Amino acid sequence: MSKVLIVDDEPHLRLLYETELRRAGFETMTACNAAQGLEFVETMKPDLVILDIRMAGMDGIEALQRILERDNSVPVVLNTAYSSYKDNYLTWAADAYVTKSSDVSELLDTVKGLVETRAAARN
Amino acid sequence: MSPDKESEVNNRGFLRRRADLATAGFEAAESPMLVIGPDGEIAVASKGVGIMLGMDNRDLVGLSLEHLFVPASSVAHCGEEGHCGSSVLRQLQVRHAKGDIIPVEVQCSPFVAHYEGVEPGEDPQRNNHCLMLLADIRKRDHEDQMRAARLAKLSLLNQVSEALYGANLSLDQILEAVLICMTAGQGLRFNRAFLLLINETGDHLQGEIAIGPSNAEEASRIWKDLADQPGDLFEMMTSYDQSIKQTDVAVNEIVNHMSVPMEDQDHILIRVMADRHVLRVIGATTIPGVETVRRWLGCEEFAVAPLTTRAGSIGVIVADNAISGTEISDLDLEFLQMFANQSAGAIENSRLYSELEQRLIDLRKAHQKQKDNQVTLMRMERLSVMGETSAIVAHELRNPLVAIGGFARTLMRNLEEGDPNRQYADIISSEVARMETIIHDLLDFIRPKKRLRKEVVIDRIVGETADKFQEELNDKGIRLEMNLQTNGIALAVHPGEIQQILQNYIINAMQAQPDGGRIEVCSLLVDGGVKVEVRDDGPGFAKEVGDKLYSPFFSTKTTGSGLGLTICAQIIKSHGGVTGAENQPDGGAVFSFILPLPRNDPGT
Repeated sequence: MSKVLIVDDEPHLRLLYETELRRAGFETMTACNAAQGLEFVETMKPDLVILDIRMAGMDGIEALQRILERDNSVPVVLNTAYSSYKDNYLTWAADAYVTKSSDVSELLDTVKGLVETRAAARN
Repeated sequence: MSPDKESEVNNRGFLRRRADLATAGFEAAESPMLVIGPDGEIAVASKGVGIMLGMDNRDLVGLSLEHLFVPASSVAHCGEEGHCGSSVLRQLQVRHAKGDIIPVEVQCSPFVAHYEGVEPGEDPQRNNHCLMLLADIRKRDHEDQMRAARLAKLSLLNQVSEALYGANLSLDQILEAVLICMTAGQGLRFNRAFLLLINETGDHLQGEIAIGPSNAEEASRIWKDLADQPGDLFEMMTSYDQSIKQTDVAVNEIVNHMSVPMEDQDHILIRVMADRHVLRVIGATTIPGVETVRRWLGCEEFAVAPLTTRAGSIGVIVADNAISGTEISDLDLEFLQMFANQSAGAIENSRLYSELEQRLIDLRKAHQKQKDNQVTLMRMERLSVMGETSAIVAHELRNPLVAIGGFARTLMRNLEEGDPNRQYADIISSEVARMETIIHDLLDFIRPKKRLRKEVVIDRIVGETADKFQEELNDKGIRLEMNLQTNGIALAVHPGEIQQILQNYIINAMQAQPDGGRIEVCSLLVDGGVKVEVRDDGPGFAKEVGDKLYSPFFSTKTTGSGLGLTICAQIIKSHGGVTGAENQPDGGAVFSFILPLPRNDPGT
């Protein structure tokens, strides 16, 4: 079962994503800020990271850079309320970006696709 | 010879002798004088009398006064009065040898003649002489008239100057007034007047306005009309409006043709401006331009006066008497000069005034514009604040909405089919979706898309970007070669992004050859696209590195985030193209990208 790490400082969103991802058959773990997220990437070796961009403290873009410095093989999905995130070149290193929506189906599809691609690449 | 005749001759001889003896001085006098003997005969006639009557003065001696004066009876008692010892002044008429009657003023006074060798008082006859001084009144009449005319013109000039300076006239009105005064009966009495001014660009003296009748018939009608007018300038202007305006078409056609380049310094009109002195042209002359002016005017004689201000000449007035043929007198010229000076001042004044007026209008406009701009700016500022506020609010609402809508969907899925709560959950999620759409649209509206693509010529953008490195490359001993061969193909790209890629490639190539070398930038057409390459003479990259070059944060260098090539790949991907990196067979690396050509759609 693939492990998905959710990094978001909104507890209700973490709960929503956890609920939906579990229903879709993923194992989930959550971090409430970027620093904790980085720690979990190292200690728990997730198969995929969902990263919120705007967070108190270290933001998602900086976290993205640090994650990829440690392990650039882990897929990262940037999850954001901004539609203008593409203006920042630093976000271009992410594997995907999904705009936050109450309809989580796009997020689920993206996660499924990336996990499958990664699994296929490993085999 | 009859005794009568004989006595006359004797008498004459006696008189002559007496005259010879006593009055030789009179004879040569230029002023008309007569000495009358006691018998009423002319004893001496001065040269002046001869000139006045058109005869030799000596032939007059011995003649009776009645021969000279008409009617003869008018001098009947002339001598006697003089003899009585008092001086008398009378106006009489004399007859010129050619028959003309000349009005004269005659002053008679007693006259004591001297005879050689005879003491006064010895001859009773000698006290009976009379000295008669004659003055041609005609001349005096003429002088009086001249004085009167001068006075009238001076008064008009004064009036004009008051009117021109005092009243707030427009330039056109002033020019009109000037020309009216030039031609009006009460004014300078020229037939026609033409006003020429230096044009705005200062390269030509150009005809502006003219006044005057076009033929004799018209002239007599107008001049009669105007003669009835009182000499007030404003009334003259009014009557001009009524009677002349329609008739000066011909002269205004002439004035429209009048144009002299300022550089033609010998031309009479330009010269008059330089000399600042009025000029009358009559008869044969060698002054350049005279013939041109004569052709314009259709008239041999004319006068030119400069319109001179303190700053210099601004134009000329040309005047003639083409209709009446009257000679232009010295007096006319004198007044023309004075008048032109007055007019020039007024014209200059009016120009300065209207310039000021225009500047004031411009200032007002600028002020209004500034005010408008300020209002717009304030409105925009308010809108901008409103926009930012709503953006912040929209963002802040987004996360809670995701939670509400997301859980509503979860809830809906958890509820059994047919459960009324399922419908309520559905309502919540669809309403949230609606709110999200509103917020999305709002944010899109507030933040317009920045990354706009535009058509750029690939060779140009590649060339320009590489050129920017020229200096730095020179410093590092690296030769830049360009080989751009896409023949001006233009593609819709984001110019800044394409520049960014090229910069990354060139910087990489530069860093690969720290000890100098060569960088070749090429563009070429490939199947379905345009390929841009950056080649270097460096060591190339290790084989195992090749695959990772474009992955994020990979770098063989100790500095830098390694994002460079990753970003390049992403950019090219977003343009629908691909990136490449390979080692050349004879050493050095090639980094490249291919941008696709737009597909040829035969339907469009």
